Amino acid sequence: MEKKIGVYICTDCEIGKALDIDSLVKVATKMKAPVVKTHPSLCLKEGVEFIKKDMAAEGVNAVIIAACSPRVNYDIFNLDTPLVERVNLREQVVWTHPPNDEDTQMMAEDYVRMGILKMQRMEAPEPYKVEDLSRNVLVIGGGIAGLTAANEAAKAGYDVFLVEKNEALGGWMTKIYKQAPTKPPYEDLEEPEINDLIKEVQQNPKIKIFTSALVEKIDGAPGIYDVTVKRNGGVETFRAGAIVEAAGTVPYDAAKIAHLGFGKYSNVITNYMMEELATKGAIVRPSDGKPAKSIAFIQCAGQRDEKYLPYCSATCCTESLKQAKYVRNQDPEAKVFIFYKDIRTPGHYEYFYKSMQNDPGIFMTKGEVKGITEDENKNPIVEVENTLLGEKISVNVDLVVLATGMVPVTALGDEILPPGVNPGDEFIPYVMIETDILNLGYRQGGELPSLAHGYPDSNFICFPYETRRTGVYSAGTVRAPMDITFSKEDATGAALKAIQCIELTSRGEAVHPRVGDISYADFFMQKCTQCKRCTEECPFGAINEDEKANPLYSPTRCRRCAVCVGACPERIISFKNYSVDMIGNMVKNIEVPEEEEEKPRAIVFACENDAYPALDMAGINRLQFNAFVRVVPLRCIGSMNLVWVADALSKGIDGILLMGCQYGEDYQCHMATGSHLAKIRLSKVAETLDRLKLESGRVQMTQVSIADYQKIPQILNEFLEKLKEFGPNPYKGF
Amino acid sequence: MSDQLIKPDLNFVKDVIASGGESLKKCFQCATCSVVCNLSPDDKPFPRKEMIYAQWGLKDKLFSNPDIWLCHQCSDCTAYCPRGAKPGEVLNAVRKLSIQNYSVPRFLGKAVGSPSYLVLLFAIPVVVFLVLLASLGHLSISDIPRAANGSISYAKFLPSLYIDSVFMPIAIFAVVVFALGISRYWKDLTSGAGMEPKGGLLNTIIATIGTILSHKQFKKCEVTKDRQISHLLVFYSFIGLAITTAWAVAYLYGPAIMKLLGMKPFSWLLGESPYPLTDPLKWLANISALALIVGITLVVSNRLKNKEKAGKGSYFDWLFISVVYLVALSGILAEVFRLADIAILAYPVYFIHLVVVFFLFIYAPFSKMAHMVYRATAMVFAKSTGREI
Repeated sequence: MEKKIGVYICTDCEIGKALDIDSLVKVATKMKAPVVKTHPSLCLKEGVEFIKKDMAAEGVNAVIIAACSPRVNYDIFNLDTPLVERVNLREQVVWTHPPNDEDTQMMAEDYVRMGILKMQRMEAPEPYKVEDLSRNVLVIGGGIAGLTAANEAAKAGYDVFLVEKNEALGGWMTKIYKQAPTKPPYEDLEEPEINDLIKEVQQNPKIKIFTSALVEKIDGAPGIYDVTVKRNGGVETFRAGAIVEAAGTVPYDAAKIAHLGFGKYSNVITNYMMEELATKGAIVRPSDGKPAKSIAFIQCAGQRDEKYLPYCSATCCTESLKQAKYVRNQDPEAKVFIFYKDIRTPGHYEYFYKSMQNDPGIFMTKGEVKGITEDENKNPIVEVENTLLGEKISVNVDLVVLATGMVPVTALGDEILPPGVNPGDEFIPYVMIETDILNLGYRQGGELPSLAHGYPDSNFICFPYETRRTGVYSAGTVRAPMDITFSKEDATGAALKAIQCIELTSRGEAVHPRVGDISYADFFMQKCTQCKRCTEECPFGAINEDEKANPLYSPTRCRRCAVCVGACPERIISFKNYSVDMIGNMVKNIEVPEEEEEKPRAIVFACENDAYPALDMAGINRLQFNAFVRVVPLRCIGSMNLVWVADALSKGIDGILLMGCQYGEDYQCHMATGSHLAKIRLSKVAETLDRLKLESGRVQMTQVSIADYQKIPQILNEFLEKLKEFGPNPYKGF
Repeated sequence: MSDQLIKPDLNFVKDVIASGGESLKKCFQCATCSVVCNLSPDDKPFPRKEMIYAQWGLKDKLFSNPDIWLCHQCSDCTAYCPRGAKPGEVLNAVRKLSIQNYSVPRFLGKAVGSPSYLVLLFAIPVVVFLVLLASLGHLSISDIPRAANGSISYAKFLPSLYIDSVFMPIAIFAVVVFALGISRYWKDLTSGAGMEPKGGLLNTIIATIGTILSHKQFKKCEVTKDRQISHLLVFYSFIGLAITTAWAVAYLYGPAIMKLLGMKPFSWLLGESPYPLTDPLKWLANISALALIVGITLVVSNRLKNKEKAGKGSYFDWLFISVVYLVALSGILAEVFRLADIAILAYPVYFIHLVVVFFLFIYAPFSKMAHMVYRATAMVFAKSTGREI
């Protein structure tokens, strides 16, 4: 359809008072925009009506709103066209720069110009609708998390396929004697609730259960997964729309904790073994079967320790207190010692801890267990130092229980790095651990990329529930150590995410974090050189490869971050409303004043996730920043294509600053690796700049989070100072 | 092995709980109590470590450390404890158990500490005095002889010979038990500290006595600062009454002894009681008695006033308070009724007075009264090992 652009300039929120609006109108008209109007307040009902009238009467179908930030009022400017471009004159111009000032005016005019240029190269995207979408939910794992996810998804009206590797459902919860209290006064132990849940799931007609089964293969993408399950020597296939991965954990191997004597002394057992003794009816010593009259619990056994498990397993303190209650209930004269680094009984479990503290037969102290030995009757002797008693002590007990931790099943395999990448490299695109859980047909590997301690990676600050594979949601202890109550909540959340994925995919919309985005990537394959950059750098594995290394893009896996747009050296990848050409066009047409005017120009490429919001926040707080910058918002700083650097410098721009989210071990990049990729690409640009006889310091990258908005003025000023030292770009005026 | 093998005594923990320290398990070692305590030295302060020793049933560590007696139960710790663990009350319970541990025979300690034996313990002096009075035939008022001028005379009711033949032995018993207790306690303190006290014990004792007389430690309390007055009154009134008793003994036996020595007795040695109110002995006696009744009343009213913050005290505490109250009250009333010539009240009240004083003396090493000896001993030991007080 023929594009007819309408530019609407709002004069509310001080925009009208701070800028020469007539001049802006002239700029827009000079850019050949057919319709250019102003309005005193566009976000009011009459403002929206004003635009809609033009759309109906004058056939405007590409709307540019020069007003507030695109981060606000997007629900109000819900017009009947996907082509809506926002020019930020409020937060990033009039709120952050002096009114009625020449430089402020130049900035506003540049932004209006850039908005029109952008719109001129945009096409209206149309949603990609998969054929034959499946609304089934696949749940892997039949423990408390998997059962809860299956139950919740079925109750919401979706068909569920539940795959469990053991013969029986219920997982670890079928092995416990009692549960820690979940009801006031939080002092009494409760019967395990798993059996009721198992019955409920088994009786639900919407849930098809595969036990003694493993997932052999999952091909396809969200909405169109083809799942192959093997059991009893045979295979069965079905389709699914989204996946909940709730495969759970295994206990940490206590024999690895050398100084605690597991495996060496018969009367040193793990918390799992202690639970087993309780279910069998009596807590007795393995060496002679006699009842244990004094028991020492050692918390954080092989945990919170770099040598073993570096993390805390969340439940062992509550579980040890529960097991202490088993002992004290069995024998009121029994003595229980608890040696801890800290006692972690979150939430209401604090009341349970207090009630156990009140038991006179329980002796607790903080301390470091130095070692365990044995006397001639096979009674363990525990040596503890740095105790609350103020000295090193040792106790002679009948039985020692090591509170060992849990290891997610996603950690049980060898680590595989992408080809050509070595451990210790500056940038590692993804780490795969070879397990046998999902077996996805993805070019990057069959499992979920992991980051820390073998757990499936997620952006734990912003999106803890999303894995790095769209459509796959981890839940329960395989995602993070958690207790029963938390697992159920987690599983319910994962089921909800799976449903959201299915519904959004059915509408051809992106699932997260660009919720509702209907654009998707287009590959101009004629110019592809099969360099494999896009297939390796896509943070979400959305691009497979054929045998000739041609990329095979899957729109429903895609999060529309456009990292591939930045990666491709031939620039063959584009979105209908976001492309190298579009941004390049904006960059090349920024007005660059002559050298004599002493008005430098710096382009700030700001990612829309943290950097652009930080700039907005500076505006909301009326912090003033340098007027010589021109902000170009990018979907992810990882979509930065190096050609824009050449474009900008060749037109006389003095410097380019990339602002992206934090990358590294505690990354905050909303697209996992985009920010780091931008940094890596920049290191290659230094050569180009040297060739052009330009200082490599003219192109910088800085990591910014929305909370850093206070630093924005300082960051920009420092950058411009640096550029002043270099002097103006010699290519000005060419 | 440099570390110690620890053997918690579960029964000891239960004893502490039963003796008024029932909240001890609530302590989670935050050390607010030690920080707030104005009496605690900075090095290894109390009562934090005592709380965990008590929780772990480490009886020996508690008994062999003088800190439990350096505590004067200000109860600032109880008032500030964020968990309501009441360290003041816990240490009180431990002190009681310590008294019962060192004063022998131990069964007496246990009996004094438990309410179920109260009647039996009182029954003993009641029976003793009834038997004595019966043997004199003085069980009915009309049979009781009067003084020469017809007024009531307690010396005629129960002659001093009988009184002394009862009270001397029990006093000696108390002293012997205390002596044995101190020696065993001192031995444990020495082995607990791992060192012998530095020389100059006499100077240390004198300095400690000075501290006690000045009530310097009581001044450091905040929540229960009124105790300084009430305890001072009770303390000095006891001293006053002790002097009175010695004075009366001098009056009573002085003339006979002087005669034995072939001297003419001083005229102011008045012989047998009752003595005229104008006599300085009676001045001291009455002022002390008055001070005692005021003091012990203040003790009770302070405790009731502070019970929210400082805890309500144990059976052990209130038994002692009640006995002292009865001693003072019965003593004063006995004098009042004698002077008012109300025979029907005077003799029974005097009887009660004899019973409660007997109770106070004979059970002194086993009741809270024992604090006067054990605390002083601990304070001397602490000072002599350089533990600042």
